[in-house]
Amino acid sequence: MSYCSSGAFAQTSVRGTVTSSDGEPVIGANVIELGSTNGTVTDFDGNYILKVGANAVLEFTYTGYVSQKITVGAQTIINVTLTEGVALSEIVVTALGISREKKSLTYAAQTIQGGQLTQVRDANFANTLNGKVAGLVVTNAASGVGGATRVNLRGNRSIQSSNNALFVIDGVPVDNSTPGQVGNDFGGYNGSDGVANINPDDIESISVLKGAAASVLYGSRAANGVILITTKKGSAGSISVDANSGAQFDAPLTLPYLQNEYGQGNGGVFGARASGSWGPKMNNQAVTDWTGKSQNMVPQPNNISDFFQIGSSFNNSVGIKGGTDKVQSYFSFTNNQAAGIIPGNKLGRNTVNLRISTNLSKKFSTDAKVTYVNQILNNKLRSGEESSEVMNLYKTPRSIRNADMQNFESEAGAPSYWTSSSIYMNPYWTINRTSADEERTRTTGLVSATYHINEEMKVLARVSLDQYTDRGENTFYNNTLLFAQAGGSFQKYFRQVQERNAEFLLIGSKKINSNLKLSYTFGLADLARKSDFTQTNANGLLVPNKFDLGFARTLSVGTGFVERDLQSVFGSVQVSLKDYLYLDVTARNDWSSTLPAPHSYFYPSLGLTAVLSDMVELPSFVSFAKLRGSYTRVGNDAAPYLLTQTYSFSQGGIGGFINRDGTQAIGDLKPELTTSVEFGFDGRFFDNRVGLDVTFYTTNSVNQLLSLPLAPASGFSNQYINAGDIQNAGVELTLTGSPVKKEDFSWDITLNYARNVNTIVSLHPDIKQTFLSSGYGRTAGVLVKEGGAYGDLYADGWAQTPDGKFIMDASGKPVLTATQEFLGNFNPKFTLGLNNAFSFGKMSVNVLVDARIGGVMTSGSDANLAFDGNAAYTTAYREGGWVLPGVVKNGESYTPNTTPVNAETFWTTVSNGRYSWGQLFTYDATNVRIREAAVGYNFNVNNSFIKKATLSVVARNLIFLAKGNAITDIPGVPSRKMWFDPDVNLGAGNYQGIEYGTLPSARSIGLNLNLSF
Amino acid sequence: MFIKNNRVAVFSILTAIVVSVSSCTQDFEELNTDKTKLTVLTSTELPYLFSKAQSASSYAFWRYQVAQNLFSDLYSQYFATSATYFPSDRYTIRFDWLQWHWIPIYTEAVPQLKTLLKETDANSAENALAKIMWVYSFHRLTDYYGPVPYFKAGDPASSVPYDGQKEIYYDMFTKLDEAVKVLNANKAKTPYGSFDLIYKGDVNKWIKFANTLRLRLALRISKVEPAKAKTEAEAAVSSGVMLTTADDAYMVKSENGGDFNGLAGISVWNEFRMSASMESVLKGYEDPRMPVYFQPAVGTGQFDGLRNGLLPAQLNNSINGNDANSNVGTRWTKWSGSSWGGQNTTPQNILHAAEAYFLRAEGALNGWNMQGSAQDMYEKGIETSMRQWGINDAAAIAAYQKSAATPIPPMDGINSPAMAAISVKWGASTAIQREQIGTQKWLALYPDGIEAWAEFRRTRFPKLYPVVNSDNADLPSGTFIRRIPFLVLEKNTNAAAVKAAEALLGGPDKPNTPLWWDKN
Repeated sequence: MSYCSSGAFAQTSVRGTVTSSDGEPVIGANVIELGSTNGTVTDFDGNYILKVGANAVLEFTYTGYVSQKITVGAQTIINVTLTEGVALSEIVVTALGISREKKSLTYAAQTIQGGQLTQVRDANFANTLNGKVAGLVVTNAASGVGGATRVNLRGNRSIQSSNNALFVIDGVPVDNSTPGQVGNDFGGYNGSDGVANINPDDIESISVLKGAAASVLYGSRAANGVILITTKKGSAGSISVDANSGAQFDAPLTLPYLQNEYGQGNGGVFGARASGSWGPKMNNQAVTDWTGKSQNMVPQPNNISDFFQIGSSFNNSVGIKGGTDKVQSYFSFTNNQAAGIIPGNKLGRNTVNLRISTNLSKKFSTDAKVTYVNQILNNKLRSGEESSEVMNLYKTPRSIRNADMQNFESEAGAPSYWTSSSIYMNPYWTINRTSADEERTRTTGLVSATYHINEEMKVLARVSLDQYTDRGENTFYNNTLLFAQAGGSFQKYFRQVQERNAEFLLIGSKKINSNLKLSYTFGLADLARKSDFTQTNANGLLVPNKFDLGFARTLSVGTGFVERDLQSVFGSVQVSLKDYLYLDVTARNDWSSTLPAPHSYFYPSLGLTAVLSDMVELPSFVSFAKLRGSYTRVGNDAAPYLLTQTYSFSQGGIGGFINRDGTQAIGDLKPELTTSVEFGFDGRFFDNRVGLDVTFYTTNSVNQLLSLPLAPASGFSNQYINAGDIQNAGVELTLTGSPVKKEDFSWDITLNYARNVNTIVSLHPDIKQTFLSSGYGRTAGVLVKEGGAYGDLYADGWAQTPDGKFIMDASGKPVLTATQEFLGNFNPKFTLGLNNAFSFGKMSVNVLVDARIGGVMTSGSDANLAFDGNAAYTTAYREGGWVLPGVVKNGESYTPNTTPVNAETFWTTVSNGRYSWGQLFTYDATNVRIREAAVGYNFNVNNSFIKKATLSVVARNLIFLAKGNAITDIPGVPSRKMWFDPDVNLGAGNYQGIEYGTLPSARSIGLNLNLSF
Repeated sequence: MFIKNNRVAVFSILTAIVVSVSSCTQDFEELNTDKTKLTVLTSTELPYLFSKAQSASSYAFWRYQVAQNLFSDLYSQYFATSATYFPSDRYTIRFDWLQWHWIPIYTEAVPQLKTLLKETDANSAENALAKIMWVYSFHRLTDYYGPVPYFKAGDPASSVPYDGQKEIYYDMFTKLDEAVKVLNANKAKTPYGSFDLIYKGDVNKWIKFANTLRLRLALRISKVEPAKAKTEAEAAVSSGVMLTTADDAYMVKSENGGDFNGLAGISVWNEFRMSASMESVLKGYEDPRMPVYFQPAVGTGQFDGLRNGLLPAQLNNSINGNDANSNVGTRWTKWSGSSWGGQNTTPQNILHAAEAYFLRAEGALNGWNMQGSAQDMYEKGIETSMRQWGINDAAAIAAYQKSAATPIPPMDGINSPAMAAISVKWGASTAIQREQIGTQKWLALYPDGIEAWAEFRRTRFPKLYPVVNSDNADLPSGTFIRRIPFLVLEKNTNAAAVKAAEALLGGPDKPNTPLWWDKN
């Protein structure tokens, strides 16, 4: 099996066996005679034989092991034991999959090891990143298991495009578009994202490249930062098997604080068909209730919590690794089964991953990977007020029995409900008689080949294809409010998304002299994206509740088709001086099909790193110190089809309609530009026991492509415009410490801190404000306003005099503000994550506490709970006599208010039910929680078959240590504590900061067993 | 061998990349053309544009609610809000909803109509129909606010000036006159064919439609410009207005694309019910139209209404609930026993012959030549309205015309008195007659709240209830809303023009400032 083995002066023959430290033979280890091209590899028993010249020195190398050099001398038998490798300097996988020494990086990067993600799990693994990286904020859409997430680094910069970080797997960006996110508080179904399809069991490690600096090489989509995922690869040596089995159980973490004194009714009087709990005190009195039966009125403290079930998720995976020095393969299969905390909400996912890497010669290697994912989501949840499962549930009066609610349907198939409503229904009807199911099939393939032209230069070609199809079906039984047309409604959709990347890279390095080194990457890339969408709606069903398009009364079809291409040329050069001073220069030119001719834009970056500890003599307690700085520009193209005015066809009337689209085309579209400057310091002290990594950055996004409102009288309601300057400035800090580091006990602390300050520096010469997504609706609107900050919430409120007194009308009721008031910003002021990891011999304990300080969130659910008299805080002043302290306007003067109201009048006035005075239901979203806690135990396995066994008990979202209060104190009512989890939002788009019928987050406890064979 | 194959593979990959990059940007234009849309219009597409303008100007489905039902339908007191969460019945002005009264006209009717006016021959029937739809759209727009962008509407610009209501009205008269002249020369044509969602291209009916609209506008300005009003009204009547229900204008609606009959589409949401005003009058007159306009409350089997302007706590009282009050008639919505089924394809009421008679009756009282006496026209108006709603029993109609009955107290939650004291039977004095014409026209215009609110402001008939509670400091209890202030949307996007428009309004930009034609 040897090659190039005919050494002209071969004299002696050496043989031996290469074993690993556990005594196993190492298959495929390289044995090379230094200074020659002579070499061989070990066979299946770890044996080798090689003819060597005089004074030969042999080098034994094997991936993942420390290599050894042995002088042959007179020996003819050399047995070698290789020990598993210890990384001498930390290696970070950077852009395009190129590994670099961390010390040479000119920008902030943080690494998460795969193991950290497989212990504590979520159906969407992005949710488990929270608290682990400084400046990374993950929120999720209230769609139930596997729902979309919003992963944000360093604040929000784009008003209308995604602010999500780019995910890159093994050097290839993955489509993480989040189609159809709920963008207003009316609500709807959220589309799934792409990240949820990533299987954490296949992850080797994650590098988070926070700024744009890291990512010029990925092009525009990387302007929001990059999360680089390296997946497992096969390795040469004996076949090893990793099996992981986990079970996790979930229960709601937070539910509303409810009152249990007053029952269904109004004005203190029982009403069998009343919608709220403004009835009498529940004193066991007999009433004929909505079921038509006479039942005693008794509090039902659990009628809401009983609706939820214990959610569960089971995860089983097996990964097999093995290979020779020439061919290594990795195969894994993972099955996930998850059931949400709302009955019916389920996820099933199978992932198959196969990776084959070859080193066919010293010069030529290849890597090929195929990942297939099949994911089925059943009964995705709605979010928002519009008859979402949770909103319907929270509308339940306090005296209604859960057992009665479960009779949600009459014999004739009509919904049973205790009141009449325009949109709300019995929640049991909603979960049993409406559904949204989606199946995704995703195939990702990657082929790359590397050829070493010589020792210093290689070329790499890589082609990847990522393709998925979603097939969805939504059903609404006849008589479902809002959604069902006569006979019921049925929708079927089909989405196909395809992304193809092709790259050709020239990578090399050159040692100019002993001090000066040069490394470079030049590349060509082509990114082609295509998506195709068709939705067919059955407008009513001729045979009721037969859910197939064939039963439709009439059909209507919506289509979408998008195709675009991006071609790029780029280069990156790094000059290093004495391995302590590094200069990075990168540049890229893109040609995008979505821009007007010449379609082209250029963007450069510059970075400088100085490893102070290698440059100058520092005090001995400094083990390592480095300063870095970078300046980056990132260009961005636009969505396709904006250059020419378009006309749309739609159904309606007799033969359909054609109308000119309401958005004015922009023929002279310019690319967006984001400029960032960052400086950082990375230091390790006291023998690496303490580490500090701190980064300061400023990012300005200008020339944003905005769809701003235009005076509709112009014939257009919106115009595309290149305008705006949005600034994010902030600091990220990671502090690590190892207070105890002993053989049998170690303690590691990691503290992540991040603060980001956003400023809308300018918007447009004429238009000074615009709403994110839809405008002010039922709760609060997110207003982008010059001088304000991204994420500022505005809502109706309670009018006050200039000196801060509440204003009442003549009947003693609060008066509405004339305009929408500023409430706060939905982004946290700062975030903190504190991780403590302990290891006692075979046991490890890990506790992650995470804090989000500041920021506000407006709750539409809370407004409804107030309106209905269900909230705990509505019990005061039920009998009246509530004279609100403040004034009444009489003409131009104010007189003190003396007119009493009761709780029902007060709360129904300020909440109005669906369209509330959002200010009064807005909470300081500050919260501190034990995000994760895990205890693991490594068993002593005295078994030649099982090599390693680890059992861990993990908990997520264990408990809140602190929570914020309502931003407005109501006189006479104690401060109201936030009852919902601000991690959960209506959707995963830019419209954040609103809670409305969103699914409670879950507290999870799980058990995980990992076996290695 | 294996190695060799891989080398071949690598080289083919490299070649593929080089080829794909070197092919460069030639196909970008084609790639960047949206296949799901049109970028060029030909004459084939013009009828589709006309359909779109028609549908947009009369507000399909949910837009009907935010453009009309939550405002003018309440201000005219056809309906009262039963939902606790809509404060517009207490005169809270929700500009975010009202923008849907504005946006469809300017961005969906105007662009298509301007294209049609430009692309068709000025002497063609197609061009004339576009002009008529332009006037139909704009009179309903200007009567909400007063000055609106009109002459420069649809010209792409970052600011579009407002025009005074007088100038708008004068131009609308001119456009209708021009349109009728062109149509009279094209009587054999069928412009737009079946894409004309109102008359399928029947030119003779469009002539009557244009004249009736002109008569409506003439009466509207009869207090502010009596001479101009007389000229326009007499010209309209002599050219031929609608005479029978066969002339009535309905718009075809579709189940597809959400192009529902607006009132039907929103009737299933349990958010509004019959007003106490309607109840007082319809019950008092024992009006045969009552069971057509409304249906018995599902909880009580009775016809019942509630007052406008109730507080959420009052609305929570079951007497004001949806089950205890009447939804609109089965023409629009049917009760399945558990939920409402909207009759979404019911043709939408646009303009009717009955109104033409009431307009002529009022014109006759003004001393204009309306080709008939005031009483005659009044009674013809009642009869035509009855027939429009399917009441063809001549004896019943005659009995109604002679009835001395008056409105009755509605027996609602707050013991309201009868809304008014007026009877149907033609009265002795002009003052009574004007109130009778106003009251009967109000009944006949149902459910067109936009027109009914305009005419209420002009005539103050019928004598509606004050709203029970007003949340609006500019409109204290006992007063009525006179206009919609300029939209917040406009203040944000067209600020300078809105500022200038205040001068054209002739008063502060408030809801109690009367419009140009409102001389009360």
